[in-house]
Amino acid sequence: MSELALFIVRIAFLVVLWIFLFSIISVIRADLFGQKIVSRVAEANAPQRVSSPVMPAAPSNATENLMTEPTGVNATKLVITEGDRKGHTLRLDRREITIGRADNSDLVITDEYASTHHAKLVLINNDWLLQDLNSTNGTYLDGSRIGTPAVVRLNTPMRIGKTVFELRA
Amino acid sequence: MTTTNTVAIDIQKLARVVPRNRNIEIMLLIFAFGINAFELCQIQLSTIQILTWDLMTYWTPITVAALLLHFILRFKASDADALILPAAVLLNGLGIAEIYRLDLATLAAGGSEVFGLKQVIWTVVAIAAASAVVLFVPSHLFLRRYVYISMFIGLVLLVSPMLPFIGKTINGAHLWLAIGGLTFQPGELAKIALTVFFAGYLVTRRDSLAAVGRRFLGVQLPRARELGPILAIWAVSLLVLVGEKDLGTSLLYFGLFLVMIYVATGRAIYVVVGLGMFITSALVASRVMDYVSGRFDAWLNPFDAARYDAIGGSYQLVQGLFGMAHGSVLGTGLGGGVPQLVPLAESDFIISSLGEELGLAGIFAILAIYLLIVSRGVRIAFNHSDDFSKLLAVGLSFVIALQTFIVIGGVTRVVPLTGLTTPLLAAGGSSLLANWIIIGLLLRISNTSDSRDRISGGVQ
Repeated sequence: MSELALFIVRIAFLVVLWIFLFSIISVIRADLFGQKIVSRVAEANAPQRVSSPVMPAAPSNATENLMTEPTGVNATKLVITEGDRKGHTLRLDRREITIGRADNSDLVITDEYASTHHAKLVLINNDWLLQDLNSTNGTYLDGSRIGTPAVVRLNTPMRIGKTVFELRA
Repeated sequence: MTTTNTVAIDIQKLARVVPRNRNIEIMLLIFAFGINAFELCQIQLSTIQILTWDLMTYWTPITVAALLLHFILRFKASDADALILPAAVLLNGLGIAEIYRLDLATLAAGGSEVFGLKQVIWTVVAIAAASAVVLFVPSHLFLRRYVYISMFIGLVLLVSPMLPFIGKTINGAHLWLAIGGLTFQPGELAKIALTVFFAGYLVTRRDSLAAVGRRFLGVQLPRARELGPILAIWAVSLLVLVGEKDLGTSLLYFGLFLVMIYVATGRAIYVVVGLGMFITSALVASRVMDYVSGRFDAWLNPFDAARYDAIGGSYQLVQGLFGMAHGSVLGTGLGGGVPQLVPLAESDFIISSLGEELGLAGIFAILAIYLLIVSRGVRIAFNHSDDFSKLLAVGLSFVIALQTFIVIGGVTRVVPLTGLTTPLLAAGGSSLLANWIIIGLLLRISNTSDSRDRISGGVQ
C-alpha cells in the first residue's frame, strides 16, 4: 500500500477508536442526565405526532367530559407533581413509558421505594394503562394500590414511592 | 372490533420487560468487532502488504465467544450492564491484534516463539469462564456464603508457587505453577478469591472498624485491635514480596485492601496508615533486597549507561520509552513501528508497543476505556443496596484499576516497574482468565441491582 493510504488508515483507526469511546460515553451521559426526556421533547415537537394514522380522529366533545373519554387521545404530557423531580414534564407519544430506578427507564425515579423496573404506562385502544411490574412497594392510582393494569384518567394522581405524577391534556 | 381480545393479548405482552440494555450492548459489540477487524487488516496491509485468511483465525473466535456471552446475558441476565462487555472485547481484540503483529515481526526475523494463537485460545477459554459465571452463579449473594473458603483458596493459590516441585521460577519471580508443560499464575485467580473474602469480612466488621477510637491531634485513631486485619494483610503482601519476589502483586493486594477498607468505613486514617506502612516497607526492601533495589535504581536513573547495560537493568524500560517516543502523538500505525525491539513486548510491555503504534492519542483512548470499565464497576456498586455487593463490585473494579495503574505506571516510569500484566491486553492466559471472570462477576452483580435485595439479603 502507498504511504498516503497507510497514513489515512492510521488516522482513520484512531478516529474510529475515539468514536467508539464517545459512543460509550454518550450512553453513560444519557444514564446520568436522563437523555430520554430531552429526546422525547424533541420528538414531540415533530409535526406528525398529533394525528397518527392508527388513532381515530379526536372526538369533538373531548373537553366536555374528560373523566369518561379515552385518555389516549387527550393526554399529551405526564407531569410530576410531587417528589424530587417535581415540575418535570414528559411529553407523551404513543409509545409506552417505563418507570423505575433503572437508568434506561423513560421516567427515572431515584427513590429508595422505587424498584428497578417499577411500572409502565402503555397506550391500548386509546386508553393509557398503568401496570405495576411486581414492584416491592407498589404503584398507587388515585390513592389505591393497583394489582392488575388499570386505566388512567386525566388529572388522576399516580404515586410511586415519594413521586406523584399525572397525565395532563 | 376485537377490543377484548386485543386487550387480553396486549396485557400479556406487558409483562415482558424489553431488555433495552442488551440492544445497546449488541450495537456496541458489533462496533467493537468492526474495530478488531480493522486492526487485523491494517496490520496485514502494513506488514505483509496483502490480506490473507489468516486474520479470520484471530478475529472469529473472540467474536463468536463474545456473541455467545451476549446471548447468554440476554436470557440469563438481561438487565446486566451494557457497556462492560463491548469495552472488554475491544481491549482483548486489540491485544490479540498487537500480539499477532509482534508474531509477524518475530517470524520475519526468523524466530519461532509466537503467542498469538495461544492468546486466541485463552481468550475463548476466558470468555467461556465469564459465561459460566453468568450462568451458574445464581446471584451476587451466592458468593457471600463462601467468604472464608475464599480466603483459604486465595491463600493457598498465593503460596502455591513457593511450594517445591510444582512451583516454577521465571525471570527471577516465583509466580508460576508448572504442571506438565502448562504454566499458570495462580496469583491471578487469588486476587478474585481475596476480593470476595475482603468484601465478606469487611461487611461483618465494618461497624467495629468504623467505630470511634481515641482522638489524637484532631485525628480519630482506630483502636489497636482493629489494626489487626490490616497488619495481617500487610504481612501477607510482604510474604509475597519476599517469597515470590513480586513487587507488583504485593502492591496490588495491599492497595486493594486499603481501597476496600476505605469504602467500607469511610475513614481516611486507614489509607494513611496503610500507605505509610507500605512505603516504609518498600523503602526498607529497596535497601535490603537486591531485586527491589535494582527496580528502584532502574526507575530513578534508567539512562545511566551502566544500568542500561546491566543484566536485568533498565534496558527494557528505556527501549519501551524510546518506542513510545518514536510513536509520538499519532503513532506509527499498527504494523508501522518496531515494537519488537522491546523485550517482552507482547506481555509486560504491550502498552509501550501500543504506545508506539497508536501514539499518545491511542494510549489515551485505551486508558479511557479502562476508566470506563472501572467507572461502570463503581456505578454497579452504587446501584446496589446491599453492602456485600457494593464492596465486591468496588473491589473487583479496583483490581482492574490498580493493575492498570501499576503496569502502565511502571512502563511509563511513574512508579517502579513491576511484573504485573495489563488487564485484557497482555499475552498471558492466567491473567486473561482472571480478568474475564471479574468481568463476568460484574455483569452478574449488575443484573440484580434491585431494591428487593434489601429484603432478601442485606446486612445481617
